[in-house]
Amino acid sequence: MVDTSTAKRLVQAIIDNLEQPVPGRRPVHTIGIGVKGEFVASDVARAYCIAEHFNGKPVRVSVRFSNGLGGVKQHDGWSDVRGMATRFHISGERGNDLIATSLGEFFVRNVDDFFEFSKIAKREKYERRPWWRKVGDLLQLKIPPRNPYPNETENVDEGALRYANRNRFAQLGIFQVGLIGAPKSYARASYHAVHTFWVTDPHGVRRPVRFSWQPVAGVRKTNPKAVPHEKYLFDELRDRLQRWPARFMLMMTIGEAGDALDDPTKPWPARRVRVAMGTLTLIKVSEDQEADGERISFNPCRLAPGIEVSNDPILEARLGAYEVSREMRGGCPFKWR
Amino acid sequence: MPSDEGLLDRFVDWVPTTLVFKCVASWTLVPYWARRTSVKSLPGGPPPSSRHGDNVQCMMNLIMPLKVKSPIGRAEAALAIAQSQDAIYAGLNNVGTVHFARFVIVGDNICMFSVYDGDFTNYIRDFIATIGEVFNEVVKLVEDGEKVTPCERNVEAFIQWIHERDLYQVPDTATDFLRDQEALNGDRAVSPVNDDLTLLPRKMVLQLRANKNVSLGSGYRAYPGFSVAQVRKQLGLGW
Repeated sequence: MVDTSTAKRLVQAIIDNLEQPVPGRRPVHTIGIGVKGEFVASDVARAYCIAEHFNGKPVRVSVRFSNGLGGVKQHDGWSDVRGMATRFHISGERGNDLIATSLGEFFVRNVDDFFEFSKIAKREKYERRPWWRKVGDLLQLKIPPRNPYPNETENVDEGALRYANRNRFAQLGIFQVGLIGAPKSYARASYHAVHTFWVTDPHGVRRPVRFSWQPVAGVRKTNPKAVPHEKYLFDELRDRLQRWPARFMLMMTIGEAGDALDDPTKPWPARRVRVAMGTLTLIKVSEDQEADGERISFNPCRLAPGIEVSNDPILEARLGAYEVSREMRGGCPFKWR
Repeated sequence: MPSDEGLLDRFVDWVPTTLVFKCVASWTLVPYWARRTSVKSLPGGPPPSSRHGDNVQCMMNLIMPLKVKSPIGRAEAALAIAQSQDAIYAGLNNVGTVHFARFVIVGDNICMFSVYDGDFTNYIRDFIATIGEVFNEVVKLVEDGEKVTPCERNVEAFIQWIHERDLYQVPDTATDFLRDQEALNGDRAVSPVNDDLTLLPRKMVLQLRANKNVSLGSGYRAYPGFSVAQVRKQLGLGW
């Protein structure tokens, strides 16, 4: 178990790398929007997991979509990781949280890696690369770094690249972040829960699994060469849901012996058994964004009976760090099991 | 993008998108860097694995250049396949581990693309046993094919010959492609290393120079992790 002081240091390391502190707000994924919906499990889901939300009855759901960057400035059109935190409201006013991002794999394996990453990937001045250096890149068959967005003066790209160059385990995650782009809509991105969980079936068989949300509307990104819009995702989602619900399929991939069960930097092969666990229908943007977009607090370790955490050290660290962050910003506590 | 960019900035951003740059770079920069950086051809087929899921629905992407590079050569290949359709289908049923298989002519190549369960060498061995004669008819139309025919008498050489013409399967993630290169070069370094991720585009270009034809990713599967036998059993199709 990661102790409270380590959890506080983790959160502080994130806060220290912000452009400006954001008291009373999340230090990352600061900009977000709360949405209401319903989840209905597939016919086969209960054969794999006894958790209540997989029994086939409709379950009320709260979702918070977010931009990954910390800070109160909204940059929807920037290339950035997006978040989709989901609470399945199960009986007894309890919940099961599933926190996913548009990043397929994480970039550190454990808490020590994260602290080292935080030291190296500090915010640095980010400027347009001079044309003659771009010519040099092209002569070396390299792709020059992207031009800064309007008003972008700092980022962590250079430091993250230095970290990846020293640590092969981080290369996939950091490479993916570099290409991730901006979605046309929060409802048109795939979201991955990156960690391994253990699910128990009605016969008591436990299986290691990873969850992903796939948009029924399909994945679509904005044009990376166009000038990015600062704010469009909230309005787009409101307009979309006023016209028609948005749906996501919950896919569950079953791991095998030898797969990386406790390492979120390593993907599983695409050949693993993949089960459609159900459909999430997003119905409307919440009218009370203070409660459903800000004060609502998720934790990836808040799980219904039938789902358990793996020994993934990052997942374990998130248990404490999310609670520390919640307390710091006065987030709404929520009943555990 | 920001308005502080000058004419030269815009020009340099535009140049790599042009066909002229791509052609000039292909004729000059690629051979230059290929001389400076030796890149070996990566082997074809799926990498060996002991895990169940890795040994079902494996891909074979066989590209075999025809000896006669003309419509006549392509027609000969098409005829060889057409004349053997019954033999091929009966053989595939007898092998029993093949999900899908098809022959395709691309340019002056006869290609066989298939999805099978189990070990690659056993897959080819089964084919030799069941439709070896069909292979002989096709392979004799292919460059260097005479060296391994009749395949029934050159089993190991034939398996190797097929393996050498099976495409390298680029991993699903770009950085795993780097791991394949490192493994081929015997580089097993762990952190800290001194890599340069910005060289990934060049490494990809040079690898695609060494492996002209490749399979991109491990492919989509609607029901991953299930063998032919499991699918047929669950669907009640029998054998």
